[in-house]
Amino acid sequence: METTPTTPQSNALLASDVTELTDSLTRLLDHPGQRTEAFFERLETVELLPKGTHDRLRLRRERGVSVRRIEAGSSRLASADTISGHAFASCCDRVTGTAGSIGPPPRIRTGRWPPLRIAEIERAERQLARAVNRRRVGFPMDVTVRRHRRQVQVIHGHMSAPSQFEEYFSLHVETPWGVWGGLLPSLADEDLDPVATCLVDRLRSRNLPAHSNAPRVIVLGPCAAAVMLHEVVAHTLEADTLALTGAPESVVGLKLGKDDLDVIDDPRLAPDGCGRFSDDEGTTVIARWLLRGGRVRQPLADLCWAGRYQRLVPGAARRASRHVLPGPRTTHLELLPSDTPDAELFQEAAGGLYIGEFESGSLNPFDGGCVLRAPCARRLGTSGPVDFVGPVELRSRTVDLLAAVTAVGDRPLAAGAGWCAKDGALLPVWARSPSVRLEGLD
Amino acid sequence: MKPLRLPTIQALRTALTAVTERTGASSAEIYVKAGGGVQVEIDPWRPAIASPATPADWRSHALHVEEKGWALRAGAEGGALFVAESGSLPAPGGWRGLNRHSLRPGSLRLPSPSRRKASMATARKHLPDGDAETLGRNLAHGILERTRSELAGSYLIRARLYDGASASVLANSEGVTGRTSLRLATVEMEFAVERNATRGSCSLYRAARDLRDFDAPTIAAEVADRLTLATAAPETVLPSGELAVSPAVASNLLALLSPVLRDRDGWETLQRLSSGYSLGPTDLTVLDDGALETGWIQTSVDDEGVPTRAVTLIREGEPGEPLLPWEDDGWSGFSATGCRRRSGWRAPPEISHSHLYIAPGPEPADQIRTGIRRGCYLLDRAPGGRLGATFGDSHGDAEATFEIDVTGFVIEHDRILGAIPRARLGGSIRQLLRGIRAVGDDVRFLPVPGAVGAPTLLLTGLQLEPV
Repeated sequence: METTPTTPQSNALLASDVTELTDSLTRLLDHPGQRTEAFFERLETVELLPKGTHDRLRLRRERGVSVRRIEAGSSRLASADTISGHAFASCCDRVTGTAGSIGPPPRIRTGRWPPLRIAEIERAERQLARAVNRRRVGFPMDVTVRRHRRQVQVIHGHMSAPSQFEEYFSLHVETPWGVWGGLLPSLADEDLDPVATCLVDRLRSRNLPAHSNAPRVIVLGPCAAAVMLHEVVAHTLEADTLALTGAPESVVGLKLGKDDLDVIDDPRLAPDGCGRFSDDEGTTVIARWLLRGGRVRQPLADLCWAGRYQRLVPGAARRASRHVLPGPRTTHLELLPSDTPDAELFQEAAGGLYIGEFESGSLNPFDGGCVLRAPCARRLGTSGPVDFVGPVELRSRTVDLLAAVTAVGDRPLAAGAGWCAKDGALLPVWARSPSVRLEGLD
Repeated sequence: MKPLRLPTIQALRTALTAVTERTGASSAEIYVKAGGGVQVEIDPWRPAIASPATPADWRSHALHVEEKGWALRAGAEGGALFVAESGSLPAPGGWRGLNRHSLRPGSLRLPSPSRRKASMATARKHLPDGDAETLGRNLAHGILERTRSELAGSYLIRARLYDGASASVLANSEGVTGRTSLRLATVEMEFAVERNATRGSCSLYRAARDLRDFDAPTIAAEVADRLTLATAAPETVLPSGELAVSPAVASNLLALLSPVLRDRDGWETLQRLSSGYSLGPTDLTVLDDGALETGWIQTSVDDEGVPTRAVTLIREGEPGEPLLPWEDDGWSGFSATGCRRRSGWRAPPEISHSHLYIAPGPEPADQIRTGIRRGCYLLDRAPGGRLGATFGDSHGDAEATFEIDVTGFVIEHDRILGAIPRARLGGSIRQLLRGIRAVGDDVRFLPVPGAVGAPTLLLTGLQLEPV
């Protein structure tokens, strides 16, 4: 799982030699059962608020470091809001509880940061309005556009994981009939187009009453399927969630779905600019089979949980910031397509529902109860989705939802990207999924 | 103990001069905040939390956090800028990244010095030291032991205990300056138990100025009550004539009303809700007080440097005055107050309540409960349940409504007849306020979030249904 040392590059987070840092971290170890790591982070958020807001452009920049010492399931972390030799030394002192724990502070130099480009952010609102207009409608929108940049580098033991850089965008669109929010890998027309579709669907379904009947068949579009999988597969199979009700490794081998249900978490396959090769603990990421043939193969784990249970594999650690502990989370979820043509998902489904997107989802980790909320849906006719219906709320249990998946489509799409807010820590999550057909939900 | 270091007002003024010279801004403000704390976390690893003989045996995590950052707002004719960065304020020559093109379309207005004098911050200006870690672990251990003795078989799922401090300083080009400092400790714990072939869980979130202010037996008793309810057989028919709600439920209901208790829009909605009648009984008085001496977030000035004061939002059942920011001073004859808060150095100031609370009434809380012939006592929010309110539209066509999932008891003169593991309390907001029959004397503040306080209330005319 260890990554190889790298030569500092000018655009890496740490542009100076990391040997001094690794030596310092080694000095924090009292005995072989301990391990230490340093986590360096740089963030930039450019936010453009809707027209008419007083200060439309907001720029936030952060940089900082945290040092952590782990020992037999316990850990001590110290963090600071700057990157410097002194800040690093101060963190080391707080972790050990002794002054001068590493001797003189090491020299730390940071690499270059990309220039501040805001023209693309300023264009986004017009592009989105054009995409809506291409659907022969127009309506007032208050659009907030944000560009998020994050660079992290982790040093542990004698190794330094390569610097990881992510850049992505978030949109928040307020219309008279509701709010749409989500993540985009870029502000190119092809990424804004699906947003326009969602907004127009919401326009067409505005003021319609909530749908309350449980249909025999529900077809979830790729975006909705991705959100469902995030709640019922990814969250369910996070080691810390599993630990709430038992030993996390005891679920390995459990049959949760049909044989054609294959779900992988692979951070490397996230959209361009968002992919990761190592996690927030510096461990190399893997293509992790969460479900293979409907059976649980490998729950999401970080170093801490993998140290506690031998069958768990680390590499899925994520942190919302340097000030918090890492935890096992998904990054890029993928439901593998089957060879069932998408058209077949709609066969003999008249009277059912087509749900294109869920706006929110939640999981009760204790009883496996799951709630998924869609702002609107479409009734299924003999030939596919027809007229719109109002908001839909799907309430079920994880096992029942997965057991209800009777078919998986053959056309996967990048879909369902959004913020995961588990335990209040906002993390971007990505997914790729085909449509799925659910049957027999109460 | 490490002191919280902040720049002097003079250093801020020098920085303001540098910024206005470089950008051509006519007005500017700099805000600097430093803070940090110690957090003890116990994660849901069963072997680690099963039965620690002493707090030292606990496999826990300790986080020693230090945060520091600043925010700059600048504006000129047709242009404005908001920049926030972590770390120390740049030296006077460190603003080279700014120039006349840095201001983007927008505008900025800043407050002028107030005639009212604000007292200076007095709270602790040091970060908690290593003692906080031991204190947190001991407190968690004490709560766990007590809960176990109150309710056999109960166990801790996870816990997060935080002890922190922060201080800020600001100056603007109009001459406003301000300093604040805060102390805050929080306890967040989740417990579970298996009883009567049912597994139940509960969570508790409490705040105080210091970890030492928490009382382990009191918290343990609260946890045991909630776990008992979570695993009790539910009553199928709920009497909803008279409902006593605990300070925890009442605080959540008050928090739901907070949008109508601030700024001009909220005031207009509040007027529509009263529409010529009283909003509630004469015992009902609601206040917001940023300077509340016993409050967790007591500051003499808000995060724009405007002095805070007590504002009576509802006075003896009638609309009192709205919470207005300084720009709206004099609107409809009302005075403004310092009411803009920042959620951290990264965030611009927004209108927000500080200590929002229902003033204590004349009736002892236990008398309210014993006075119920047959009704319910609602103890707390149900874990993971619904909580929301809608305030209709600006024309007043739609009725303002609320709903909250609660847990409690069916009672008869304070005698428990049955349990309510989960029920949905709902109705119109008008009825919620007008249906208040008694206001207790036991005001308690809860972080729900912010600091919202309420006493026990006796409510009538609402719907309560099992879910």
